[in-house]
Amino acid sequence: MRRPDLARLGALFAWECRIATRGAAFWGLAGACALLALWRASAHGTTAALAAYRACEALLVGLGVLAVFLAGTSAGRDRRTAAEQSVLSKPEGSAPSLALLRFAALWLSLLAIAVIGLAGASLGQLVFAKTPWNLYPYLSALGRIALPVGAAAALGFCLATAFQTPLASAAAAIYWLVVPLSRPHIAMALDLTPSQHWPAAALLMVFLVALTCVLYARAVRDRGPRSRRPAWVAAALLVAFGVSAYRVAVSGEDLLTGPDPILSAIQSESVEADERAPGFWLRDAQNRFVGLDDFAGHPILLVFWGPAVTSSALLLSDLEQVAEEFAPSGLRCIAVCVDRDPAAMRPFAREVGPQVTVLWDRGRHFGQGTYAADSPLAVAYGVTDLPTVYLLDANRHVVGQTFGQLDREWLTSRLPRTAER
Amino acid sequence: MVAKGARAPVGAEEVDGVQVEIRGLRKVYPGGVTALQGIDLTIPVGIFGLVGPNGSGKTTLIRIVATLLEPTAGEVFVGGHDVRKNKAAVRELLGYLPEDFGFYPNLTAYEMLDYLALLCRVNARKERQARIEQALHRVNLDQVAGQRVGTFSSGMRRRLGIAQAILNDPAVLVMDEPTSGLDPEERVRLRNLLAELAGQRVVILSTHIVNDIATIGQRLAIIRKGACVFSGTLSELLGPLRGRTWIIDIGEDEVSRLREQYYVTGVFRSATGMQVRVLADEMSHPKGYAAEPTLDDAYVWAQAEPARPASPYDQPGGPSA
Repeated sequence: MRRPDLARLGALFAWECRIATRGAAFWGLAGACALLALWRASAHGTTAALAAYRACEALLVGLGVLAVFLAGTSAGRDRRTAAEQSVLSKPEGSAPSLALLRFAALWLSLLAIAVIGLAGASLGQLVFAKTPWNLYPYLSALGRIALPVGAAAALGFCLATAFQTPLASAAAAIYWLVVPLSRPHIAMALDLTPSQHWPAAALLMVFLVALTCVLYARAVRDRGPRSRRPAWVAAALLVAFGVSAYRVAVSGEDLLTGPDPILSAIQSESVEADERAPGFWLRDAQNRFVGLDDFAGHPILLVFWGPAVTSSALLLSDLEQVAEEFAPSGLRCIAVCVDRDPAAMRPFAREVGPQVTVLWDRGRHFGQGTYAADSPLAVAYGVTDLPTVYLLDANRHVVGQTFGQLDREWLTSRLPRTAER
Repeated sequence: MVAKGARAPVGAEEVDGVQVEIRGLRKVYPGGVTALQGIDLTIPVGIFGLVGPNGSGKTTLIRIVATLLEPTAGEVFVGGHDVRKNKAAVRELLGYLPEDFGFYPNLTAYEMLDYLALLCRVNARKERQARIEQALHRVNLDQVAGQRVGTFSSGMRRRLGIAQAILNDPAVLVMDEPTSGLDPEERVRLRNLLAELAGQRVVILSTHIVNDIATIGQRLAIIRKGACVFSGTLSELLGPLRGRTWIIDIGEDEVSRLREQYYVTGVFRSATGMQVRVLADEMSHPKGYAAEPTLDDAYVWAQAEPARPASPYDQPGGPSA
């Protein structure tokens, strides 16, 4: 058997990469991702780790959809232009290697978009947030993006090959877009937020790419005028999807399987007393984005709370009274709900009324005593238990921090200091 | 490195008198559609036409020869190599132009050929460059080598397809409908190019346009519903029709009556009325006179249903499939 010629494989791979990245579509998408990441990282005071985390979160959803869609349409494109016919009739043309090279090139081009996106986030952090730059969290974010996006690309590739139409992968792309945004617990199954499931993502990717190679070779060998679509493959995929989504939905908490490097990085940069507080843009109950910048010039009482923590409800009702009481002195109250589901904040938001701005940040809370949070904002503020209260002055420096209850004396004694600065 | 235009076809150097042998070839697609039902052909050096209507199985046959499709039964040998067992060796000898040839529109013609030359195991950059320049020169596209493929006209794209097929100077050139969809000027240009390329090669050319073969082909096979109804030279095809081809000058209203009486291969409008070409052993019509058979007459005859009058090709002594 002949040994594979690595130089030629490298040259072919370079060509596939050029094909994947050439054209307005690639650069348009890269530009859009960079702008999105720049916006996510531009809130005043955002640290490098927080900027990288937020950019990573946005890029994972965007690139996941893109991966499925691009992989699917590239399979359709082959059929339309019949490029594969010319390639496969050459001495070195083989269906599995063609599929493999194309997948690798597509994955690499998506990672190139991720790098451009993270560069945008980095720019946003340096120019708008003006906090010290650090390479490590951005590299870590790229690591978090790589496998889920590879798995998404493999899924699109596999569907398009199995059904021989870009429609199948377009449907998968829509599923990818709609499900994680509307059903957070299914998002955990697809692992779009934290990449704690990287072994599963890697295995899924390898399996799907191998399956694609086999299906592609079969399709090429037997592709005729009326070849039937292997409907059983689609049925198997849909059943597998359904079962995994159901299992995750009923299995309760998804515990971390190991340390999350990017959260560790955010924690190491968490804010101390008298330091400038990390900025943010978060969704309120009406789905509007609200940030610290909207309260510029006011002292702020910032509360991190969780709907599952009983003392949170007490603190929120107290917060409403405090907001009314201290409104004349310019104090504004923000309550950040840390939960998987944005819907969890809505009943509380209705109860506390308009004096308190209730926002939501994706995160989890594992109960008193065994606290662990994966809300990047909570970690950036150094929250160790819920609820935690921070008092920020008009320049957004941390004046004080307290846990559990709102102490009027604590607040009254510190509030004049917020005015002095 | 090889000097421009000085190379003999690769296969011709290695295999003396390369030919394509097809024995008992059958292809049934997974959906149950029978595309080929036992084809036997021997294709020697020169231009060989595969003629048949759309859906007759030409593309299936060509794709099996080009190692792109697995046959259900039968054997195909290209230069002595079995297309099933020794794909790599067959591809070394082969140049293939698919029916709907296309490539990534964002690549230039040169880049596309560079990519495909790599797949032809031409690793040295300089050799690739020489081969690409030679191929582009032969198809008269050297002036637009730096232009994107997406901007090419269909004729230019087809010529580019031929350029990629001759990159490895193949001993066997297989082309699927190379002239379809081209304007008359491009068609003539392509025919000339094919005649020029034939030389010491086997050139297999599928088409549903009979005149393509009439002008450049030496041998042909007529395919009907996956079976070969004729295989031989042009003169063998036309020979049995000599003395049996007639033209009858009639009025317009007589055509349908004539169809019942004779086997009609063509109806044309003339200055005095209608001119009908018919095939018959004897001519009893007063306005009928003998004519030279054309490829169209033979093609129509060969494509007709078996219920037609006995085919001259079915008779003992006549050429058979």
